[in-house]
Amino acid sequence: MELALEARSVSKRYGHCDALCRVDLAARPGRLHGLLGPNGAGKTTLMRAVLGLVRRDAGRVHLLGVSRDSMREPLPDGVAGFVDTPAFYPYLSGRRNLALLARLDGDSGSSLNKKVGHALEQIGLVADADGVVAGYSAGMRQRLGLAAALLRSPRLLLLDEPTSSLDPAGARDVRSLVRRLADEGAAIVLSSHDMAEVEELCTALTIINGGRVVFSGTVNELQKRAPDSVHALRTSDDRAALDLASQWADVKVAPAVDGGLEVSADLDALDAYVIALGRLGVAVRGLERRARSLEWLFLQLTQHRIAGEASEPASRDVADGSRGSAVAS
Amino acid sequence: MSVRGILAVAGVECAKLGAQTKTLAVLAVCMAGPFAFVEAMRVQSSVPEDTLFGRGLKESGFATPLVVLGFSALWVFPVLTSVVGGDLFSAEDRYGTWSAVLTRSRSRGDVFAGKVLTALGFSSLAVIALAASSVAAGVLIVGRQPLIDLSGALLPPGQALRRVALAWASVLPPAFGFTGVAVLLSVATRSSAAGIGLPVVAGLVMQLSAYVDGPEAIRRLLITSAFGAWHGLLTEPPYYGPLIRASAVSGVYLVVCLAVAYRMLLTRDIGG
Repeated sequence: MELALEARSVSKRYGHCDALCRVDLAARPGRLHGLLGPNGAGKTTLMRAVLGLVRRDAGRVHLLGVSRDSMREPLPDGVAGFVDTPAFYPYLSGRRNLALLARLDGDSGSSLNKKVGHALEQIGLVADADGVVAGYSAGMRQRLGLAAALLRSPRLLLLDEPTSSLDPAGARDVRSLVRRLADEGAAIVLSSHDMAEVEELCTALTIINGGRVVFSGTVNELQKRAPDSVHALRTSDDRAALDLASQWADVKVAPAVDGGLEVSADLDALDAYVIALGRLGVAVRGLERRARSLEWLFLQLTQHRIAGEASEPASRDVADGSRGSAVAS
Repeated sequence: MSVRGILAVAGVECAKLGAQTKTLAVLAVCMAGPFAFVEAMRVQSSVPEDTLFGRGLKESGFATPLVVLGFSALWVFPVLTSVVGGDLFSAEDRYGTWSAVLTRSRSRGDVFAGKVLTALGFSSLAVIALAASSVAAGVLIVGRQPLIDLSGALLPPGQALRRVALAWASVLPPAFGFTGVAVLLSVATRSSAAGIGLPVVAGLVMQLSAYVDGPEAIRRLLITSAFGAWHGLLTEPPYYGPLIRASAVSGVYLVVCLAVAYRMLLTRDIGG
């Protein structure tokens, strides 16, 4: 099956900083491809490079089989997407904004109105479509951005955190819409911070960190990388437990996102570690087996590099205009 | 770049301009301003005698558009030509809409050319509106009397109207030149304040520097000098040398500014 998106060895520098370093990304028709990475990892820069919004310093990009050698050419028909929070002309209505974008795509007359109406229906914004965008909430703008992408009848859709500003019901609607588009044959690249969303929707993943790919493959392949068991551990002294774990090669302990600690080890090593905690005078208040989650795997793949880079200039921040967040290890 | 793409972009830009109060207000001022000026002249006893054709304001309606033309060269034309040209590109930065525009089926070349076409179209429209309104105000309020030209010859109404029309047409090239400057500043600074304000400041500086002693060749290269090239059309016989030179200078400003602006837009990282 031909790839809908093929990006090979894409590199981008801002000054002396590598925002992207030989990054590969591929998406197939009918599949949802997750693009993950911590803040400032280079996800948005990669999507911009693919969409032709920033110049690549190296690498090549094919969209629906069409080579994108420079930023001179228009985006091929059937390719759509948005990066960051979608922005529109605030003095025009949502409907008018969509109509103007459709005109840029070559639509006119009744077909334009029909297309705009259909896109508004799909994203559930018909009731507010005639209000000026200046009065829209962030969630409504995000929906409008999705509608603008749908106007291009996408066969390749790149979405940068499409549900980040939506309420749970809105996010659910967008997820089902995206899934339906994939079922109809579109290739979808979904950049997201919501691990549960990516786990639920995507079959393939690319994880980037510091402008480099740290994992690319299917969700199953990623899960196979995880150790046999992960346990949630609650102790009377987490700091002492972390210090003790640092002396053990076969036990990995990290602060859990929801508090406490997360222990990655096989059962024999875990038993020995818990006994050692008791000898050290650290009480074990809870030990519970936790199912492997994509979030845990993601943190394992990215936290070491982030912790190591915490004191260095964050190159990708230049691209994204924000500081990268460090995850404690 | 394709004609269809350029026209599509220009159509979208015109629709956006039509929805903005600013654009409509500028055109309304162009239409109403000359009537207010002529009415003020009619009710007051004195006339601006130290201004070209100022003395004839109450004697011939055709003097009105020439007085307005002379006055506009100072700062009105730089404002009129930059109010759209200086904002058309930087507005996309202000609203954050470059990504939306450049992820459609139009190339950067189409977008650039469509926007420039719109800016030049608006500059033409504003100049024509001001010209038509000035002529209408003069003729309707003062009358269609013959006009005394700069050589002292009396021009019959028909000939006076033709010369006035030619004089106004002669400011289109420098108006386009100023539009080019505004477009360049809009693209380079990504700021509408700079895109609109700096051409006006540049115009005033050029006007002032024309009064400073210096090489004539440099004075001729100032785009503001081109706004005075119409004087040769109101003499007997008319002379066209300054007009041709002014058009050439304006053309160079336009081409150089647009070429630099195009190059900037073509290589620019959006949001990077």
